[in-house]
Amino acid sequence: MSSTEQGTSSAAPAEPTTAPESAAAPEVPESFYYVHGKDKVVHKVSAGALQHSALIHGMISNLGYTEEQAKANPFPFENIDGDILQMVVDWCNQHKGKPTPPEDTNLPKQKEKLFDLVLAVNYLEIKELLTYCCKQVAMMVKGKSPEEIREIWMIPTDAEDEAAEKEAKKRAGKEAAGETAAAAGDAK
Amino acid sequence: MSAAGKRKAGMSSSSQRKNNKLPKKSESKPQNRISLLKLPRVVLLEVVENLDFFEIVIFSLLSKRAKNIAKLIPWRPLTIRLKLECSLNVTLNIPNGPDETWSILYNNRGTSEVLHFTKLIDTSVDHSLSVKNNGNAIEDFKRIVENIYEVFQSPICRIDICDEQFVEWIIKFQPAARYFWIHNDVTSGETLDRVFKSLKGTNYFFSKSTITGEETTVTEPIPSRVIRLTYSSWFTLPLILNGSNSVMELYRSNLTPKDINTILKEWQMGTKLQNLEYLSIETSSEV
Repeated sequence: MSSTEQGTSSAAPAEPTTAPESAAAPEVPESFYYVHGKDKVVHKVSAGALQHSALIHGMISNLGYTEEQAKANPFPFENIDGDILQMVVDWCNQHKGKPTPPEDTNLPKQKEKLFDLVLAVNYLEIKELLTYCCKQVAMMVKGKSPEEIREIWMIPTDAEDEAAEKEAKKRAGKEAAGETAAAAGDAK
Repeated sequence: MSAAGKRKAGMSSSSQRKNNKLPKKSESKPQNRISLLKLPRVVLLEVVENLDFFEIVIFSLLSKRAKNIAKLIPWRPLTIRLKLECSLNVTLNIPNGPDETWSILYNNRGTSEVLHFTKLIDTSVDHSLSVKNNGNAIEDFKRIVENIYEVFQSPICRIDICDEQFVEWIIKFQPAARYFWIHNDVTSGETLDRVFKSLKGTNYFFSKSTITGEETTVTEPIPSRVIRLTYSSWFTLPLILNGSNSVMELYRSNLTPKDINTILKEWQMGTKLQNLEYLSIETSSEV
């Protein structure tokens, strides 16, 4: 669980409600970090929850931030939509210090978000969540016919691939010609 | 590879199969779609690894790009058997794996254009899928077999040929297999000549073809460890003596007592038949 706050990365986040601590909470106070996505909404996440992300874990492992420094410097993930980052943060909080079960019911079910979620999870290097997301993507085509699979996964035909390749080459050729012309113009 | 999600027999969209129509594009809501090939390569491969055999086969048939992706995964080696008779059937098993058989079958003699994908656990159907094709089902079946060979990088272990029309395709596609079975439907001498010249059963060659000596011109021994010929009247003494087989079973042979005597002498002296461990000849001649 995590809380969010509308604002900019530089704004000090309001005191968020944190994930419930287990009865056997460590005596040493847990450190928290802050992350935000494209929407600049800041999420407060414990270091324990962030350990799921190899990327963030790597970033914070040697920072030694104080609480104040961490608040003042949220990790910016401008390439991740806010709602997607929220899902990821929620998942990390729910699985803090726990191994992921084989059938994870806490994974967001929205198929329309799955593509962005997979990209974000891959970027943040959350291996267990990525594995589960990949299973979800694979499950989308269970029992489907070839044409349905083509449609669900938006797989172009060979002819479409060839046409796209030709188009890309043509565009690249035009761009190169444009650059040459511009360079010649500059020279004059 | 996971075989997660047992399904009931038949496709999920049974009404679609009844009508033999593919779903209209508009039926699939955009939010239930994902642009799979735009995913990063490592993610894409992990998704494909989670597919079952049939889904991998179907995925690889969708486009060259899809097939090339499926080929990048180091799949476990499979035991693949191909039977080309009135029903064209290819079966896949994982050696020392679960007792599952994945079968793709097309009824060659029927008028149906449907390929049946069936997964068997022991002998009971776990799930099945009927895939209608729009063109030539035989060509589609061949393409499926070629894709399986290419994607899983496992050669076909056993090939049964009961229909002469597939001989040329097999010669071109995979001319050597551990086990080759030629059935009695192969009756043309010309075809059998082609088979013996161009196909190699590295371990086992079994012919039930009823061909006779007049119809075939085979002059080279069969280079398999084990040969078993149900009708061997055409299999002459030089073919036997010059062979390097370990096991020879020859039925309905035309060998004379003198021929058999020669074989036994040569075998005993070790000048010929040096690899031979077992010989069985059934002949109508009195020894």
